[in-house]
Amino acid sequence: MIGYVLQRVLSVLTTFFVVSIIIFLMMHSIPGGPFDGGDMPVPDAVREKLNAQYGLDQPLYVQYARYMWGVVRLDFGVPFQSPGETVLELLGRAWVPSLVLGGLGMLVGVPLGMLLGMAAALRRNSWIDYLASAVATLGLTVPVFVTSMLLILVFSVWLGWLPSSGWGEPQRWILPIIAYATIPMATYARYMRSAMLDTLNKPFVTVLRAKGLSERRILFQHVLRNSAIPLVTVFLPMFIGTATGSIFVEAMFRVPGLGNYFVSSIRTRDYPLEMALILMITVMFCIAYLISDILYAWLNPRIRHGGRRK
Amino acid sequence: MTATEPFAPAGQTAPIVEIEDLQVGFPQLDGTVQAVRGVSFSLAAGESLGIVGESGSGKSVSCMAVMRLLRTPPARITARRLALDGVDVMAAGRRQMAELRGSVAAMIFQDPMTAFDPVFSIGTQIVETIQAHRATTTRAARAEALALLERVEIRNAAAILDSYPHQLSGGMLQRAMIAMALSCRPRVLFADEPTTALDVTVQAQILQLIKDLQDDFGMGLVMVTHDLGVVAETVDRVVVMYGGRVMEEASVHDIFERPAHPYTRALLVSIPGQEGGRRRLTEIPGASPDPSNPPTGCPFHPRCRQADARCRTDMPAMTPLGEGRRAACWRL
Repeated sequence: MIGYVLQRVLSVLTTFFVVSIIIFLMMHSIPGGPFDGGDMPVPDAVREKLNAQYGLDQPLYVQYARYMWGVVRLDFGVPFQSPGETVLELLGRAWVPSLVLGGLGMLVGVPLGMLLGMAAALRRNSWIDYLASAVATLGLTVPVFVTSMLLILVFSVWLGWLPSSGWGEPQRWILPIIAYATIPMATYARYMRSAMLDTLNKPFVTVLRAKGLSERRILFQHVLRNSAIPLVTVFLPMFIGTATGSIFVEAMFRVPGLGNYFVSSIRTRDYPLEMALILMITVMFCIAYLISDILYAWLNPRIRHGGRRK
Repeated sequence: MTATEPFAPAGQTAPIVEIEDLQVGFPQLDGTVQAVRGVSFSLAAGESLGIVGESGSGKSVSCMAVMRLLRTPPARITARRLALDGVDVMAAGRRQMAELRGSVAAMIFQDPMTAFDPVFSIGTQIVETIQAHRATTTRAARAEALALLERVEIRNAAAILDSYPHQLSGGMLQRAMIAMALSCRPRVLFADEPTTALDVTVQAQILQLIKDLQDDFGMGLVMVTHDLGVVAETVDRVVVMYGGRVMEEASVHDIFERPAHPYTRALLVSIPGQEGGRRRLTEIPGASPDPSNPPTGCPFHPRCRQADARCRTDMPAMTPLGEGRRAACWRL
């Protein structure tokens, strides 16, 4: 088990460096630079001075080495679009709305999806099964910006119950949370239904009945646990994906979260912010998969104990 | 168990298993698959009964029906009487049925490799069975589980208690399965092809174990098998089934020495390896009947050498032949 964890940590570090090189190269291969101006042209002399000041006149491998040396010391530089703070300060500030809305979206979507999937599996071919299928299919196929627009249209424009956008008072959170919840809910409803049906048809369920366990115990102690194992691996990566902010949801509801900065940092060649965002997501996904795999092994004795026969 | 005692008449051994005119059908899109078509048999306390038949003869389904282990729907069950230890299982509620299962009637299955929940240890699964029927501490239940594993001749039982199903062999798992089935002292054990999925070398050991335990525990045994050899070694009485019906019922001695029904005789002839294995392998010509479209009359008539016009149109009734023998055939 310890060897397994070490091996996985090593692979995370490798992934981190490979991703950093690829992103660094891709980022710099986009034509133009951060001080090209655009609306407000900058004189050539000023631009060259700025480039020199930020080391952008150096060869790429020097820039990369300098950047990574900074990363090792947890110095991610200063964002060009907001030079008054460090990249880490900006991330810390912008992450709050994304984490809150995305996290709450997961918190609402996952249990709802699991309940829906369970009900669908237990009452197969009933109205609730069809409802679950409809919710799952719509949730996964309708793009989130369409869902967001419909939510705004119904609850803000027509009914006037909730504010359409912004960040601040909790009632502004409700619509984006619903928008965030759709995909986890749909995914979990689908997975849960098929995993439960799969488990319910296993011969051991008949054995559990034959030995006189109550239906409740069979369901909660055995069927749910067996069905939940495959779902555990989905949870953390999905959480990272949701809680780092959706570009679309944040744009639709004008939430000042991380999603916005993804777009703006690429558009303005804000190299330090762009690198930091992508590296952060990479690390979080790596850790999420690592934890999921360890959790999966812990829940599943076939992996935890290997295939040894006694 | 105690709750059911008032049903048993005092002073005589009431049957533990009563099946009378059992019908089990599985409705399909194109008609009903009638798996069991009027089966009757019973089992007295401590008695051992073999149910022999080809796959699809309805032998497993009959046992699953009396344990109420068939999902209804899709299965449709009717019977004049279907009872375990005097309790009408057709009228019993879910709760009462769960109490009966395991404590009055236990069951072991064909494939031990898929019979345990893969995420719990063997010990946990035996302990939960004990605790489902009796209020004991986990510590006491674990001690009982350990004793049971030792009783089913598992070496190193303490280690097996903490093992997971994937770590054990099929023979080992079937022993553990038997231990689990016996954990609440059932009055009857249904063994549904308990050795079919096992190595030949292990089969004999498991059969011997079941036989010994039956004597030890004084429980009834219903051995469901397609193998007459298994029946010869383990039971007192045999029910021969074919096409969802009982063809013959007799003591194991009579079944082998003076079979009454042409199907039983055909089965006996087709046992391979008799007389030093020199005889040719004889098979019954034809195939077993399609349960969704069974033949009229006696289900065996298309394969029966003695069949005449009456066999093709009318099903013969069960005819008593004395000494507990009975058979359903026009040509007795």
